[in-house]
Amino acid sequence: MNLARSFILTALGLASMGCNAVVAGGALSSPPPQGNALYLSTGGSPKKYRTLGFIQVRGYGVQMAGFADAGNANLDATIRGTLAEEAVKLGGHGVINIEFLDENPQTDAERINDAMKTAQNLANGKAKIETKDRYVTVTGEVIEFKE
Amino acid sequence: MRAWMMALALTAVGSTGCTVVDKVRLPAVPGGNEVFVTAGDIQEPHEVLGVVQVSRSGPLLFGNIDVVGTDLEAGFKEVLLPEVKKMNGDGVVRVRYHMTQYTPFARIAGAILFVFPLPSTVTITGQVVKLKH
Repeated sequence: MNLARSFILTALGLASMGCNAVVAGGALSSPPPQGNALYLSTGGSPKKYRTLGFIQVRGYGVQMAGFADAGNANLDATIRGTLAEEAVKLGGHGVINIEFLDENPQTDAERINDAMKTAQNLANGKAKIETKDRYVTVTGEVIEFKE
Repeated sequence: MRAWMMALALTAVGSTGCTVVDKVRLPAVPGGNEVFVTAGDIQEPHEVLGVVQVSRSGPLLFGNIDVVGTDLEAGFKEVLLPEVKKMNGDGVVRVRYHMTQYTPFARIAGAILFVFPLPSTVTITGQVVKLKH
């Protein structure tokens, strides 16, 4: 009975949510560069520059019960966090041509499904939380402004 | 028992770094003495010599020992730059790159299951150019 009810609820959830997976991050830099702040952009440089090097960052995290995230598998932690910190270590004034990819974004339907499975497990006395490994990969060119 | 395992797993996530970083220092400017590489375009007049894709694959022994060099450092300096010089190019524009990055957990698993080395690859693409002097 529980199984049938869960199935119907999941099917309704899927039908109403669709299959879109959306991942968003905070704003990067707007040109021109402001003061000593690290310039971060998915495009080119607004000023003359010298390339210092290249970085690839892969953030790993775990999503628990569909909604609680642990770790660094999100755009802000990888771009404005680790990527920016590593660029500063290289002596960079900015990172341009940033590319990013959330390797396995979760749809709302998948999240709800995991949450329901977890709730069902707990209701049945099983201490089992549904988890999903999450990965975000980011690359960027570290630059130094010439002016 | 499962609760304990979950708690241990969460502790492992919390105590170990969840982010893997790899970088290569490659300072050069168009017109300098060294081959330059940029992910963008250049303003200097140039001739396009061709497009190039380089890759290098190899095993990570014990999950950690990169025998042949499959990281960004090796990919750029040991594979891409020699190829650009062979093509008589001055630099590479619009470069794109990707390398295999394993989490610390996967590397530990690779060390334990050492008879199965982890596969690793670095791939770089770009457009080789020669500056017009």
